[in-house]
Amino acid sequence: MRINFWYISSFVISLFVIIPILTVFSSFFDNTSNYYQVLKDTFLLEYIFNSLILLVSVLILTFIIGTGSAYLVSFFNFPFSNFFKWALILSFAVPPYIYAYSLTAFFENYGTAYTILKNLFGEGNYNQSIPKFDGLLGVVLSISFSLYAYVYILARASFLYQSQNIIDLGKNLGFTKFKAFYSIILPAARPAIVAGLSLVAMETLAEFGAVDFFSINTLTTGIYNSWIAFDDLAFANQLSFFLLLFIFALFILENLSRKNAKYHFNTKAGFKQKQKIQLSGKKAFLAFSFCFLVFFLSFLFPLSQMMYWTIKFPENLFDLKILDLLMNTLYLVILSSLLLIIFGLVSNYGNRVNKNKTLNILSTLSISGYAIPGVILAVAFITFIAWFDDSVIKNLGFVSIKKVFIGSIVGLVLVYFIRFYSLAYNGIKSGYEKINISVDESSYLLGYSKRKTFMNIHIPFLRNSLLFVGILVSLEIIRELPITLILRPFNFETFATTAYISASEDLLEAAAVPSLFLILIATFFIIVTSKYILRDNND
Amino acid sequence: MTKNFFEVNNVDFNVGNKTKVKNVSFAIENQGDVICLLGPSGIGKTTILRTIAGLEKLKKGSIILNGKTLSSENINLEPEERNVSLAFQDNSLFPHYTIEKNISLGSERNKEKKEKKISLKEIVDLLDIFHILNKYPHEISAGEAQRASLARSLIMQPDLLLLDEPLSNVDQSFKEEIQVRLKKILNKLKITTIIVTHDSYEAFYLGSKCGIILNQELKQFDDPYKVYHLPNSIEVVNFLNRGILVPAKVTGKNTLENWDLGTIEGNFIKEYPEGANVQLLLQPEDLEHDDTSNLKLEVVDRKFRGTNFIYTLRAPSNTLIPVFVHSHHIHQHEVDEKFGIKRPIHIDHIVCF
Repeated sequence: MRINFWYISSFVISLFVIIPILTVFSSFFDNTSNYYQVLKDTFLLEYIFNSLILLVSVLILTFIIGTGSAYLVSFFNFPFSNFFKWALILSFAVPPYIYAYSLTAFFENYGTAYTILKNLFGEGNYNQSIPKFDGLLGVVLSISFSLYAYVYILARASFLYQSQNIIDLGKNLGFTKFKAFYSIILPAARPAIVAGLSLVAMETLAEFGAVDFFSINTLTTGIYNSWIAFDDLAFANQLSFFLLLFIFALFILENLSRKNAKYHFNTKAGFKQKQKIQLSGKKAFLAFSFCFLVFFLSFLFPLSQMMYWTIKFPENLFDLKILDLLMNTLYLVILSSLLLIIFGLVSNYGNRVNKNKTLNILSTLSISGYAIPGVILAVAFITFIAWFDDSVIKNLGFVSIKKVFIGSIVGLVLVYFIRFYSLAYNGIKSGYEKINISVDESSYLLGYSKRKTFMNIHIPFLRNSLLFVGILVSLEIIRELPITLILRPFNFETFATTAYISASEDLLEAAAVPSLFLILIATFFIIVTSKYILRDNND
Repeated sequence: MTKNFFEVNNVDFNVGNKTKVKNVSFAIENQGDVICLLGPSGIGKTTILRTIAGLEKLKKGSIILNGKTLSSENINLEPEERNVSLAFQDNSLFPHYTIEKNISLGSERNKEKKEKKISLKEIVDLLDIFHILNKYPHEISAGEAQRASLARSLIMQPDLLLLDEPLSNVDQSFKEEIQVRLKKILNKLKITTIIVTHDSYEAFYLGSKCGIILNQELKQFDDPYKVYHLPNSIEVVNFLNRGILVPAKVTGKNTLENWDLGTIEGNFIKEYPEGANVQLLLQPEDLEHDDTSNLKLEVVDRKFRGTNFIYTLRAPSNTLIPVFVHSHHIHQHEVDEKFGIKRPIHIDHIVCF
């Protein structure tokens, strides 16, 4: 085969993304300090137990909220159903750690709930009767209300493309609505729902901010502690490996249970657009209430809590250098998204024009970065740079490169790149899948070179996909916490890190301002891209 | 030695590592000639076009256009370096451009050509696609997309035009008209063309030569008349599905004997020794109806084909024989009735295997 520019670019990009991922896997066989023994004797079981409980609870809750709300807005018309269709994805703007701050702020002793009761009913000893959503329950709620949108979006997309024919078939067989939902609609949407739940599972196991805030010991905090407190990178990596096994076990379980069943419908032949059922009376009220409750709890509640505190303690607004934080956040977002889009595009095109097995395997591996928690990636990156610096750079007599990559914008952006590469790569890939390969061939036959085909045919076609990917990546970077915390340069803060630092110093009121800004910027991004996220206009 | 405009020499056509058609050789003598390749679905016709266009590589043989080697074991010009245009069977229009823009992209390549032979307007009129010029590919029908794709290829005025089932999605009512227009424009512009189709009538009309591809081989490459009347193998006869093979014995220089039909006269295409047992190709138009004849066979089926009826007759040996009869013929014979065959039977070209 001919080695061309596109092959080499694609190869190098994939390889770069894989290196830290391989570091995680290779360190599984490294020697560790006695922290492992200490941990095994003390907390390991607790870590595993907590992680499992957390995972299972979040999956159940997100399944119920995500699938339930998607079913209602896809199949029925009720008051504000069109509004909820996109409003339900706004929960993405609230990362779990900010949700955790809101929960605490509202329900803590003398918190917002107390103030409301006091204003309504006068002074009283309300603290004892206000429920406390902290600890494991707090984490489960924070993660679930922030991440259910993954299940909602994918389930809804799947429901949307279910043909009226299969629903009619259910009626014809004499099924009740519940039976039709349970035995036709839900199974047909199963791959989409499972894909959504897998994303939730990965994010849950990787969650750092909320878990740390509620002081729950999970595998992720174990990783963080083994690195921060015991300086045992190898063990941190081994725990990460163990954590990844959790995720793979889930995938395998689902795949086995699915066997050979087919779930895809040919949307061209015999596809009949669904007619939504008009609800009225009690049913309409119940459907509305369910969606409103989800919208309220996932978005309005944390947003109003943060607004309330910002208004109540306006001095925090002036203490913070908002403009600096905004510039820092945008700087990271723009730089990282641009890099991700450019390299994601080049790599996709390289794969498309070369159809090479090695390249294919490399890119498949390279997109596994998303399954690896940010804490682990940051640690693995530091491990790799330290090793490379000690064993290669110094041996060659060059000046240490550690400062260039650790505690610098360069390092931070590179790790964002590795972490979110799969998002960019897959996003662009799904855009590319809509371009038939004969379009490329036609272009060559019109005399266009590969470069010209890329520039003149593909990029204009992928314009919308690129915008969507850019914003999706930006959204992730704005919310991202552990990588930024570990790798940011000294005195370089974003909205996320400022919120985290204030919260970890028990200054929740001060965390409100950066949290509010973060939510507002993220909300703006979501609204801009809601059309693409919901895929109403795409086929 | 005459120099051919286009040659395919001993080429194995592959998709990946799988050989689809082996050891193919054919040539187009003059610039502007149109040839057709016929064969059943999945046989590798499209692979041949894709290889000529440079989209698939070849491992054996060579492809030469106007004296320049396009592909061989060692040479493989990139598709964009060939000035060969391929109009795909399926829609390959650029989805984000209007039909007009799609077509005009085709003309960009030949901007430098001094003498512009065909304009966008001419091509649009020719293929009757004016009404879709401002539309996007997803807004038009499959037949319209095919015509737009054809327009883009034609406007390129390539050295070699490859058309893959160019009219397969075009409505039957419009198809014949487009075939006439296509033939006229190809002739006018002198664009050398290879058309792949599974429609033998289309191939016989458009091509000055036809190639029949069967069982991984190019079985016959000849002018349409010969392919139809003088097929060179039983496979070609079966593929064209235009007649039956009946057993016969050669009885003289110009005669043979069939147990059901008796003596048959005519000119043998190939010589056979007297007494040889052969399979005679009997085509529906070889036999003539004659109510007065004493050779009477039983009618098993009758199909109305507009200008003709095709009667299927059962011979005493149980062989089923097709016979054409003009549809204005006065007598119509029902199933189970007797049907007379004119004697003596005379066949212009006797084809035997």
